[in-house]
Amino acid sequence: MSEARRFTVHVDVERCIGAGHCVMRAPKIFDQREDGIVILLDPHPPLDQLAAAEKAADLCPSQVITIDAAP
Amino acid sequence: MSPLDASSAPRFPFRRSEPLQPPAEYAAARATQPIVPVTLWNGRRAWLVTRYEDLRSIVTDERFSGAFAHPDFPSVTEARVVVDKQERAFVGMDNPRHDHYRRMFTKEFSTRRMMALRPRMEAIANRLVDDLVAQPRPADLVEHLAVPFPSLVMCDLVGSPYEDHAFIIRCAAGRHGLLQTPADAEQKARELADYFMRLIRRKEAEPGDDMVTRIIDEHVRPGNLSREDFAEIGAMILRAGHDTTTNMIGLGTLILLHHPEQAAAVRDRPEVVAGAVEELLRYISPVQFAPRRVALEDVAIGDVVIRKGDGVFALNPAANRDPAAFADPDRFDVHRDASHHVAFGFGIHQCLGQILARVELQVVFPLLLRRLPTLHVSAREGEIRFKDDMQIYGVHNLPVAW
Repeated sequence: MSEARRFTVHVDVERCIGAGHCVMRAPKIFDQREDGIVILLDPHPPLDQLAAAEKAADLCPSQVITIDAAP
Repeated sequence: MSPLDASSAPRFPFRRSEPLQPPAEYAAARATQPIVPVTLWNGRRAWLVTRYEDLRSIVTDERFSGAFAHPDFPSVTEARVVVDKQERAFVGMDNPRHDHYRRMFTKEFSTRRMMALRPRMEAIANRLVDDLVAQPRPADLVEHLAVPFPSLVMCDLVGSPYEDHAFIIRCAAGRHGLLQTPADAEQKARELADYFMRLIRRKEAEPGDDMVTRIIDEHVRPGNLSREDFAEIGAMILRAGHDTTTNMIGLGTLILLHHPEQAAAVRDRPEVVAGAVEELLRYISPVQFAPRRVALEDVAIGDVVIRKGDGVFALNPAANRDPAAFADPDRFDVHRDASHHVAFGFGIHQCLGQILARVELQVVFPLLLRRLPTLHVSAREGEIRFKDDMQIYGVHNLPVAW
């Protein structure tokens, strides 16, 4: 696996309601602040994290996670 | 599609013909006319939304309002209209006000904090099962476990004395019934908010290690949150925390006991438990007439136009049985991935206490089944009373033996 094989994750922190699905699904990419609001740990995760990131984006109730296949 | 005042719109809510299945009308609508008009108690029309994707798109669309006090907000009873009009908690607000208030409370219900409650929950559940086995058989699982377990957890978390829990449950039932009078619903709502105001004042005088004390320190004293608004939000949290998990435990136990192999998997295989709880949430969907919205402008969805001022029930029990989202949806299967269910709603109003509820259920089911491996329903035909008289579905009683 080359270092270049990564994708991109965006979050809109302003609209996050802190439901926490992303942390449960993709703990290598997301964490929560003490008040529950999302922290993006890794905006360019390796491709083996793509399925977890997509599941997190799907479950996010306020739909603030976007996934871009480009690194 | 015909306009919403089409005379064919049937009266809503429907009756269930099978107690463990949603009303048959939902599947019929989903297959033919997935957004369908109905008539409410006051003669007004509203739309039912029965497909999973339609539910998710409507509740995340700001052309639909979730403001309970909106004059056209749809409701299943006259009593509910009265309390909706007075709702001052963020559950009934649109953004930006919703997020402003909700964010003061997210920390209290965060994943980390809820996971940390696990050992305490296990101790509470074990003590209640001790009490249950001391009862003559058959004993009522609702009375001895489903009601007191979430109540004790909630009292711990919030900081309210446990001896008040019967009062809190009465107030919640006054809000969530289908048969109570508007005056009774209004009085119960008022009593619970007044109760919470007294709790705030008590915690101001005698702080504890609890939610009320922390919110006072972090938001009330600095002036971000008035005591009155906190009392309304606190009443909402108490109602939600007592009533919903109770119904999941009662009905969830009944369903697991109907599926002994799956119950054995929940009992013996810890890796099955989290998924089983998601499947129970999907299958039961106890908050049965939610989410609700009102259209702020005309919105076209498929071949339907929802007009400005029309009410919408985006029915999570219908969406959670949509075959486009869940294969063979009427089959109960703890081994499926049901995690994308919408039993907690979707969009900004998705349940604040959902992690609490999940952890409670993840603790209680395997513990109960391990402690009482011969647990079985012990009821005469018709003895189990299903909550056809309540907005939150469940069982009033569940006679069990072991």
